[in-house]
Amino acid sequence: MLQPRRSAALLSVSALAVVALAGCGDDANEGGKDEGSAGGATQVAITAVSGDDGDECQVDTTSVGAGPVTFTVANEDAPGITEVELLSGARIVAEKENVVPGLPEVTFTVTLGGGDYEIYCPSAVEEKIPFTVTGDAAPAPTGGPAKLLADGATDYAAYVQTQVDGMVVGVQALSDAVDSGDLAAAQQAYAEARPFYEKVESDIEGFLLPDADPTENSGNLDYLIDMRASSLDPAVGWSGFHAVERDLFGRQRITDRTRQYAVDLVTNVTALADVAKGLTFRAEDLANGAAGLLEEVQSGKISGEEEQFSHLDILDFAGNVEGAEQAFEALRPGLQEIDPDRVATISDRFDEVNQLLERYKDPSALGGYRPYTAALRKSDAPEMSRRVQALAEALAGLAEKVATA
Amino acid sequence: MTRVSRRNLFAGAGGGLALGAAAGFGAAHAVGDDTTAARDAVDLTRSYDFYTGDHQAGIATPPQRHCIFMTFDMVDGVSAADLQVLLARWSAAIAQLMAGEPVGQVEPVRSGAVGTDTGEALDLAPASLTVTLGLGPGLFDDRFGLASKRPKLLEDLPALPSDQLRPGTTGGDLALQACADDPQVAYHAIRDLARMGKGVVDTGWTVMGFGRASAGAGQSTPRNLMGFKDGTRNIEETADLDEHVWIDDDPAWAGGTYWVVRKIQMNIETWDADDVADQQQVFGRTKVEGAPLSGRVEHDEPDFSATKDGAPVIPPTSHVALAAPENNGGTRILRRGYNYTDGINELAQLDAGLLFVGFCNDPASFIKLQTRLGTSDRLNEYISHIGSALFVAPPAPRRGHYLGEALFG
Repeated sequence: MLQPRRSAALLSVSALAVVALAGCGDDANEGGKDEGSAGGATQVAITAVSGDDGDECQVDTTSVGAGPVTFTVANEDAPGITEVELLSGARIVAEKENVVPGLPEVTFTVTLGGGDYEIYCPSAVEEKIPFTVTGDAAPAPTGGPAKLLADGATDYAAYVQTQVDGMVVGVQALSDAVDSGDLAAAQQAYAEARPFYEKVESDIEGFLLPDADPTENSGNLDYLIDMRASSLDPAVGWSGFHAVERDLFGRQRITDRTRQYAVDLVTNVTALADVAKGLTFRAEDLANGAAGLLEEVQSGKISGEEEQFSHLDILDFAGNVEGAEQAFEALRPGLQEIDPDRVATISDRFDEVNQLLERYKDPSALGGYRPYTAALRKSDAPEMSRRVQALAEALAGLAEKVATA
Repeated sequence: MTRVSRRNLFAGAGGGLALGAAAGFGAAHAVGDDTTAARDAVDLTRSYDFYTGDHQAGIATPPQRHCIFMTFDMVDGVSAADLQVLLARWSAAIAQLMAGEPVGQVEPVRSGAVGTDTGEALDLAPASLTVTLGLGPGLFDDRFGLASKRPKLLEDLPALPSDQLRPGTTGGDLALQACADDPQVAYHAIRDLARMGKGVVDTGWTVMGFGRASAGAGQSTPRNLMGFKDGTRNIEETADLDEHVWIDDDPAWAGGTYWVVRKIQMNIETWDADDVADQQQVFGRTKVEGAPLSGRVEHDEPDFSATKDGAPVIPPTSHVALAAPENNGGTRILRRGYNYTDGINELAQLDAGLLFVGFCNDPASFIKLQTRLGTSDRLNEYISHIGSALFVAPPAPRRGHYLGEALFG
């Protein structure tokens, strides 16, 4: 069974889920000492109400002194408003979702330095309400979510590099096994090489050979490495992983043509590794990459289209999910400061997908997962699709949030 | 910001837009009275209020032209709090949708953002959209600690005669029914609500109904896909609704109703090959006028004692005879069905039928009627009940509240 959800506290009527958010980093706490914090946090009430011209957000005070501020957010009767954010410029300092009529009020506490802020109520008649904090401005943040997210992106770049390096080694091993003529060994090497690609495929999509025409598949490395029968471009012909797969698993034969496919694969993966060297990422690239990997699961793996000869789709599925989870984990420390509820939701949904994948683990099977046969697809694809889409929806708004941190 | 109101776009049109197929329907057949077209005119600018604090819309509301029904099942491991948040969010969204408003930004201001509303209903009028929520018996099992809140009469329907239920089209923890005079408005509502539920509920089964197959107050009786008027004697009067439909002896659910859904497949190809005289014997009514075989015009009271040459004029196994209140101790239910099609079936036949929707304040009313019909209705030769579910439709919330709030008090 799954663990109880975080939101259980909502049920008690008086539940005040106080979330302390280091909005401006540790240094900001000092700036706020002189006001507010002496008698506890300054209280600000934000209430969504239905007005004559539409739904509006009302704030009981729009100016407070620097220091800890507790916002209490309630939705009296405004069905068009479902979330409230505190903005500093374009940056989201804190936010609350599920602010809907009938649910208990929620609170969040942030330590604010002096300056101009806005309370943002999407879909309200007046969406942004100016909010002023008097007193010392917070020093330029040395930590905070932006820094944490940037650090995460750097860590993630290292992860991508590791996978690309592994891919080079993996396809060389595949080529060696194909050369040896040992079909079983070649199949094993194929299964070992695939995950490297699947973990990072959304990050290396669209990479071209130097000076290649982006409208031609002949210079598109993603195409040359991972094209499938369904995307076969007659002008370029078969190449890449799936050409090797077809020979090893479909025809169950190694021919000179198979050897050539494998050699070309090594060449193209090596070229990809060259292009990928020194890749840098922004936080939103990670978020978009994670979402992209889940799209790959939905469109290629659950449909059984990716590994039509080897039936290693669940292995690829697991690779996509691992890559997405790595991206999320890299963002997590920064995201935790902006929106801990979202972190908990995404984390829960990754757990659910991973638990689903557990069901298919089979150490005796090639690649470690049960082959994704037509029968298994028929019985299990709906459940897979549901769990993956639930995760995809939770990840969908992430890029927006981390890009503005 | 980018607030676009579908209602505002059409505000200038007043109430004068009489669009839709209704006019053609009345005129082409030249039966009944001249006011058929006027009575069935569609005003796309019409909208219904969600926060009535009384009965949910989409029950006694005059049936719109299109309706999409979808069930949902709670995802394993989610909590009562997740259900609570979902019902609150769905309620707020339904209020927006029924008012012709999007459920959030279609074109978000920030880069990288996904749309909250999916957008396909943006330029469309409210089209009388109603979205009705149902809670299934399963919600009150031991998963969410809600057993003590169970409505008195909410249990899975028992197996009934002639049931041919298919595993994929039965039951559901939750149900939504979105009806509108524009199918795109109805689908948009279901789609965005389903999206909102991702991770908390899984979609179960769905039926897309086109063409209302029941009449409400002031509407002429429509035809089902067998070409017959069905539901001529439907409940319309407030007093009858109070007596037969609205729950009144179960405080938390007062103003709500029990909601029966049956997916009834019709073998329309076989039916079409049956001679019309026999079809009329099966229904107990004439095909064009819809008069009981004992009478002359549609709204004549059927005379079940009338005989001709020693035999009943209305056969006792006809649909009308078996379903009539006078032959069932006065039992009546509010019917609000729609025609549906699923395309072409695995036998290469047109796959279509009736999405039967019935509301009553005691599910025993439906069980009693269907037991009789399932046992001896001559229609059974041409139909199969392939889908079935029972829900309770809670009363509508007042402003500032949400559907099903009584579960969490």
